Amino acid sequence: MARPVKKANRPCDDPRLDYKDLETLSKYLTPQGQIHARRRTGYCSKCQRELKQAIKRARHMGLLPFVSS
Amino acid sequence: MNLYEGMFLLDNNVVREDWNEAKATATGILEKHGASVTTARRWAERSLAYTIQKRNRGTYLLVHFEADPANISIMRRDLELNETVMRYLILTCDGVPEGEAELHEAELSADFSVPEPPEDHVVDSDEEEESEEGEGATEEASEEAPAADAPAEEAKAEETPEAEEAKTEEAEAPAEEAAETSEEQTEEKSSEEA
Repeated sequence: MARPVKKANRPCDDPRLDYKDLETLSKYLTPQGQIHARRRTGYCSKCQRELKQAIKRARHMGLLPFVSS
Repeated sequence: MNLYEGMFLLDNNVVREDWNEAKATATGILEKHGASVTTARRWAERSLAYTIQKRNRGTYLLVHFEADPANISIMRRDLELNETVMRYLILTCDGVPEGEAELHEAELSADFSVPEPPEDHVVDSDEEEESEEGEGATEEASEEAPAADAPAEEAKAEETPEAEEAKTEEAEAPAEEAAETSEEQTEEKSSEEA
């Protein structure tokens, strides 16, 4: 049986995702530090790209992990 | 001239000697190449998500500045060469966020003093173990949440087949009763005819 997945609904006109907003960004990471897939986040492709960009910026600055075991 | 937002990760060894000096190295590089700094403030002192240049903690400086786009690449080169600046991120931005100017001025005032770093964190290599413990604690917390969800989902999955069986049993039972009653009725009818 397919497990129900909780989707995040984010209207596209919300304020842009910021790499400094770590509370929000860490919600979209798996315990290992991977970015959730679109089927999990429920984001449109534009929002998902924004999320990806913000997480990658935060990773570069050492704010979020690339890998955490 | 464009407005930029810059985030700089500064070496804690320099920051703990003198915060203003560390700040001046970053803003100095910007101003050297014709940038005018609008706001510059201490953003946070944090433990890093992974080791950078053998450091497990660092101080972040958030700067908003106006600069000529042609000079940004030269600034980047200087920042790469500087040892105090461990990482940097320069982005264009539409405007200085609200409250940023006040925080900048609060830092310039005489009352401002750099908050003391936590006692259990020193940037020396001997203290690496302690910072790893701190990271471990946050990881455990993040792992707990999905783990709590998973058993609940499994429980739901287990319940559903049983529930279906119960339904089918219920459905069969009334059908049998109906068949019995219909037989009784036919028997009654046949007796009446006789």
